[in-house]
Amino acid sequence: MRGKEGKYKPLILFLMILSFLVVWIISIDKGWAKNSFCFECHKDETLKKQDERGRTISLYVNETEFRNSAHGKLSCSDCHVPIKDDAHAEGGKKKADKKVNCGSCHKEAEKEYLQGLHSKMIMKGTERAAYCHECHGKHDIFPSKNPKSKTHKSNIDQTCNRCHSDIEFVREHALGSIIPGEEFKKSVHGKSGEVTCISCHGSHNLRSLVDPKSSIFRSNIPQTCGSCHPEITQQFVESIHGVLAARGRTDAPTCTTCHGIHGIKAKVDPDSPVHERRIALTTCPQCHAAERISKEYRITTTPVKSYYESFHGLSYRGGDTYSANCASCHGVHDIRPSSDPKSSVHPSNLQKTCGNCHPGASENFAKGKIHSVASVKAEDIGDRIVGWVKVIYIVLIVVVIGGMVFFNFTDWLRKTIERRPK
Amino acid sequence: MTLNERLQHLNLFINFTILVITGFALSFPTAFWASPITEVPAGMTLRGFLHRLSGVAIVFLGGYHLLYCAFTKRGRGIIRDMIPTWKDALDLWETLKNNLFINRPPKKIKMGRFNFREKFEYFGLIWGTLVMTITGFILWFEVEWLKYFPQWTYHLARTIHFYEAILATLTIIVWHFYSVIFNPDVYPMNWAWITGEMTEHEMELEHGLELERLKAESKTRLVEFGEAYAEGGGKVIPLHPEEEMKSTRSIRRLYSIVQSLNETIKSWRGA
Repeated sequence: MRGKEGKYKPLILFLMILSFLVVWIISIDKGWAKNSFCFECHKDETLKKQDERGRTISLYVNETEFRNSAHGKLSCSDCHVPIKDDAHAEGGKKKADKKVNCGSCHKEAEKEYLQGLHSKMIMKGTERAAYCHECHGKHDIFPSKNPKSKTHKSNIDQTCNRCHSDIEFVREHALGSIIPGEEFKKSVHGKSGEVTCISCHGSHNLRSLVDPKSSIFRSNIPQTCGSCHPEITQQFVESIHGVLAARGRTDAPTCTTCHGIHGIKAKVDPDSPVHERRIALTTCPQCHAAERISKEYRITTTPVKSYYESFHGLSYRGGDTYSANCASCHGVHDIRPSSDPKSSVHPSNLQKTCGNCHPGASENFAKGKIHSVASVKAEDIGDRIVGWVKVIYIVLIVVVIGGMVFFNFTDWLRKTIERRPK
Repeated sequence: MTLNERLQHLNLFINFTILVITGFALSFPTAFWASPITEVPAGMTLRGFLHRLSGVAIVFLGGYHLLYCAFTKRGRGIIRDMIPTWKDALDLWETLKNNLFINRPPKKIKMGRFNFREKFEYFGLIWGTLVMTITGFILWFEVEWLKYFPQWTYHLARTIHFYEAILATLTIIVWHFYSVIFNPDVYPMNWAWITGEMTEHEMELEHGLELERLKAESKTRLVEFGEAYAEGGGKVIPLHPEEEMKSTRSIRRLYSIVQSLNETIKSWRGA
């Protein structure tokens, strides 16, 4: 007997596996049986209903698309829960109107979403705020790694822009006149294809600009950019700008103040605000030549003015890119006040900084105030001398040239009168 | 003027113009007339190079002029006649009185080889060239200069270079252009810088004394050389006839070529 029992063991195992398989297949089949029951009606492309507001909603579902989707193996009633207990097909249609609750399976995503701006806007009663399906689709959901997915990195742009580049939507939600999609498309990030809206804004939990937890909140911007540009952020947070920005000074620049926001361009692009032709014309002066900021921080607008009048500034304004601009001496991301010994414009480092362009610059070369304006009232004796020479020369020019004009005019007048027709 | 002097003038004319344009293009980089320089790639770099090149050219020209004045007889003569005298101040004063109709009728003023206008301009040019050369070289070799001098001296050099440039340019426009272009006696232009000669009438008005001297001199020459200069007519007799004739001839030839070309173009009726 024992031998016989051993003999049947594989058979029993096989039967057990078979019975499991059968149960599984039947269960799938059962699901499909149900779904095919649904599709009997919902394959009709003209199937419609009217909601409470009288809007027409199509009830058509593309069966093949659904079967291929990430949820293709689920039963309709897995998501459209109320259908189960309802005499749906017999006419109790309204029961199926409830929104599908994705959170019953995607708990983590739901938790994030509920903290995000889109869900908050829904709670506030905004009609056109993104539910799950606005971004992920309905019956055609794919994993975001699938290029067909609406949330694949190549499609994100389009998905977000459906609302955020719609002028009507932008106007309705008072987002200014920002059409981020257009700008972003032309940006170096947009062209890379690797960076998308969600890289900076986040996805399920994306938050408002004014939310301190938001990745695009002022003080968080350096960290957000730093997720891809860590070394630059490291430099920036130690700079005077970074320190002030971290203190919450809204006047202090962060990455976007100089680089732009959606339309960030490579620094070699002439349209970039950090292109070498624009740094000293618009980018730094937007704050350093601004009366309010310069007054508040006691930095005065003199450096910009004196730069424009210096050889560096004049040549730069004429299009010379060899001539020093602000960044040539002050640095870029690591700008520090001249009192900081690490600063490139700290008196102990000036000789080296000047020497970058003026090889052989002596210690004496770097002595003296750089951003000074000569005037007869200046504090520095040198500035005062130059100021006086200026005044003397102007007087000299007015007297000498004025005298010449006077003399020549009388000469011309006499000779012309002598030639008058008689 | 000899060909040598006219070439010196031409050299100064070209380099001065280049210096004015390339210099003020730096001071006024956003001016509309600077756009041919500023809108060209590396235009500002080229501008700086050209400015220094022309500057050096003028320094060499100044050096050459110095040698010319020291080592030629004519050069020494120029210096001798260029020295300002009390008469120049009186000439200026009398001219002013004429111009303001204080002298009625206007007094005829006889001036020497170089009148007060020319002397003023000549010494102005020398002063300007000296100032611009010194300050220009400070600006050019700022690293060397700042080894020994404080930074404000560099700014001083910049300031002087700029204002002296304005002074020089305005002097040329107001003083020189009046003398040689807009002065009703010479308008539309004094041809001396091209032909080397001026008419007796021009001479009489501007250099009466010199004309008398030359006439007296040519009279003695006429005795010596017979009728050699009788054909001179109203023209002032050049000081160095041989080389003068050569150069004017070649320039006249060039002029006649241009003229005949002009005629050909005018009467062109198609092939």
